[in-house]
Amino acid sequence: MVGLLFAKPVDKPEEYKNVFVYLENGQGKLKRVALEMIGIGKQLASKVNEELVGILIGNDIEDMAKEAASYGCDRVIGTQSKDLADFRTVPYANIVGDIVLKEKPNVFLIPATRNGRDLASRIAVKCQAGVTADCTELDIEADTHILSAHRPTYGESMLAEILCRKHRPQMATARAGIFKVPDRSGEPPKGKIEINNVKIDKEYLVKEILEFRKKEKIDLTAAETVVSGGLGLGGPEGFKQIEQLAKVLGGEVGASRPTADLGWISRDHQVGQTGTTVRPKLYVAAGISGKIQHIMGMKNSETIIAINTDPNAEIVKYSDYFINDDVKKVIPALIKALKNYKPEAKDAAKAEAVSK
Amino acid sequence: MVLEIVVMVKQVPDSQEVVIDPVTMNLNRSLTRNVTNKADENALEAALSIKDKTPAKITIVSMGPPQTESTMIECLARGADRAVLVSDRAFGGADTYPTGLTVASAISKLEHFDVIIAGEESSDSSTGHVGPGVAEFLGIEQITYCSKIEYSKGHITAERELEDGTEVVRCPVPVLITMLLGSNFPRRQSLRRKIDATKKGIELWNLEKLGLQPEWVGVRGSPTIVRRMQSIKERERAGKRITIETIPEMVKELYEKNILKVKK
Ligand SMILES: Cc1cc2nc3c(=O)[nH]c(=O)nc-3n(C[C@H](O)[C@H](O)[C@H](O)COP(=O)(O)OP(=O)(O)OC[C@H]3O[C@@H](n4cnc5c(N)ncnc54)[C@H](O)[C@@H]3O)c2cc1C
Ligand SMILES: Nc1ncnc2c1ncn2[C@@H]1O[C@H](COP(=O)(O)O)[C@@H](O)[C@H]1O
Repeated sequence: MVGLLFAKPVDKPEEYKNVFVYLENGQGKLKRVALEMIGIGKQLASKVNEELVGILIGNDIEDMAKEAASYGCDRVIGTQSKDLADFRTVPYANIVGDIVLKEKPNVFLIPATRNGRDLASRIAVKCQAGVTADCTELDIEADTHILSAHRPTYGESMLAEILCRKHRPQMATARAGIFKVPDRSGEPPKGKIEINNVKIDKEYLVKEILEFRKKEKIDLTAAETVVSGGLGLGGPEGFKQIEQLAKVLGGEVGASRPTADLGWISRDHQVGQTGTTVRPKLYVAAGISGKIQHIMGMKNSETIIAINTDPNAEIVKYSDYFINDDVKKVIPALIKALKNYKPEAKDAAKAEAVSK
Repeated sequence: MVLEIVVMVKQVPDSQEVVIDPVTMNLNRSLTRNVTNKADENALEAALSIKDKTPAKITIVSMGPPQTESTMIECLARGADRAVLVSDRAFGGADTYPTGLTVASAISKLEHFDVIIAGEESSDSSTGHVGPGVAEFLGIEQITYCSKIEYSKGHITAERELEDGTEVVRCPVPVLITMLLGSNFPRRQSLRRKIDATKKGIELWNLEKLGLQPEWVGVRGSPTIVRRMQSIKERERAGKRITIETIPEMVKELYEKNILKVKK
């Protein structure tokens, strides 16, 4: 047993310097979210004139370390071993924890991905420090170097600002897909790269990764348009129409949970609290009633079109356009209108200018 | 040998009916009904389905105010064997750090444990930090975000759902698992067990029993503080009524507003 360490305020917060970010590695590649951490980390570090330091763990990490430096890390601390090729909580947490305890960062950001959250609170416990989960806005006070972390709570209805004044590092997990990927600076990168080869003690390698099944290639989070179907489609054949519309719009197919429960479509398409959260430019909800668990996964879409026979369905409240009719009639009419649409002359000229 | 399973359970305000006090911007607890955190029901069901096949004993551990008893009785009525409610004024206002510390210290006071199962996150604080925190305090490995778990010969085999795929892992006990919300169908409560549970009662443990210092727990032991709460304004959407006949007009508007782009 590690022991029951309580959260301990530090005596001299001014001894803690620089912004550290955890660079998440997925199957030997820097994840996009790692670049997002560099983006927000750099912004915080510049504001207080400090360095941005990336922590990277894996096997064969040199290229990833260089990539991180080219995106703006002033320093990358890498640790590699063949036993670190797969993410395993205990060895990863031990390594990150040791680095953080030794380096004494003022701020430490970890992406709020599943593996990021898996690590974050264990590291907080090792450092006897606090951690704010799932932040969507981060800022640092120029004079006090206090991190101001904002996170949605109560089912995304409120935004809380959370501080951690007395403990160091000030840790936060940051939501993926919110912070901007910075521009890549010139090659070769200026940042300093240190890579340590380590041997991992067997006793820390009890967890075996037997298999990784990559998802089929649908990525709802990256789609600009999502067309989702619900029970109102009446059966699995209803998704054929949904697919056609998605194709015309150049988007992906989404679904409400009960349609996936019934096997009308695979689970990967499910949008909502227990599925994927999407924020496309255009979301079409066809035959979906608009129950809160579905809404939570799509309400931040830019424009929402709902198709429903029930004029009082809850989805109406969340829609920019509400087509109050049968999906079976609406979708063909919509496809036809999309195909028939001819931009007026000046729009067409504009479109042409843009595409050149 | 009986497999000792601990399930971590939290009582939360019913997310369907959260009432925010417009003045303090805090949750108005007197107007909000309390229920068992949904993902924790999935955690209990995962434990019960291990017990269906393997001799096991399930202990519920929760830190919370006295009214958490209703949640504990529910868990016993579903098939848990023992319930420990860790409750003390001093625990109030805890963030995830002292919550993990308190729950871990209660678990370490049990005679033995092999598997600890928590929910992926609680619906009110939704951090997912308490489970891994407990694993760290106890110095054990963990498998988070599981959609499926199985126990056999001293090992848990589990499927973890990650952003880009499913990871299948195997780990010897002791290990902490967190179960995904909706990963299984929680069984019903039995009325007979419910009556037994009410009679048998729930063990109440306080600060003294855990041997923790009052400044380590609750609000005093919490490194994070909430400086401000703001309500997020839901964007008002127009809900513009469209009929089959006016669909072409809507399409035109979508292009003109650049929501759809003309492809060449
Ligand atoms: C813990 C938990 C987690 C959940 N997570 C999710 C989640 O992640 N995602 C999710 O989607 N749900 C989730 N749910 C389920 C959610 O509560 C709803 O049950 C679900 O979203 C409803 O799906 P639906 O809208 O397809 O079906 P219904 O609610 O049955 O709605 C069907 C709609 O179709 C309309 N309709 C019927 N016929 C037609 C027609 N011919 N043309 C047009 N419209 C028609 C009806 O008027 C109705 O509004 C969850 C529930 C729980 C308890
Ligand atoms: N007060 C508590 N008592 C017991 N278990 C808890 C408590 N708070 C959280 N948990 C467990 O930790 C999980 C994650 O909670 P959270 O970190 O609050 O999102 C929950 O699903 C519970 O299983």
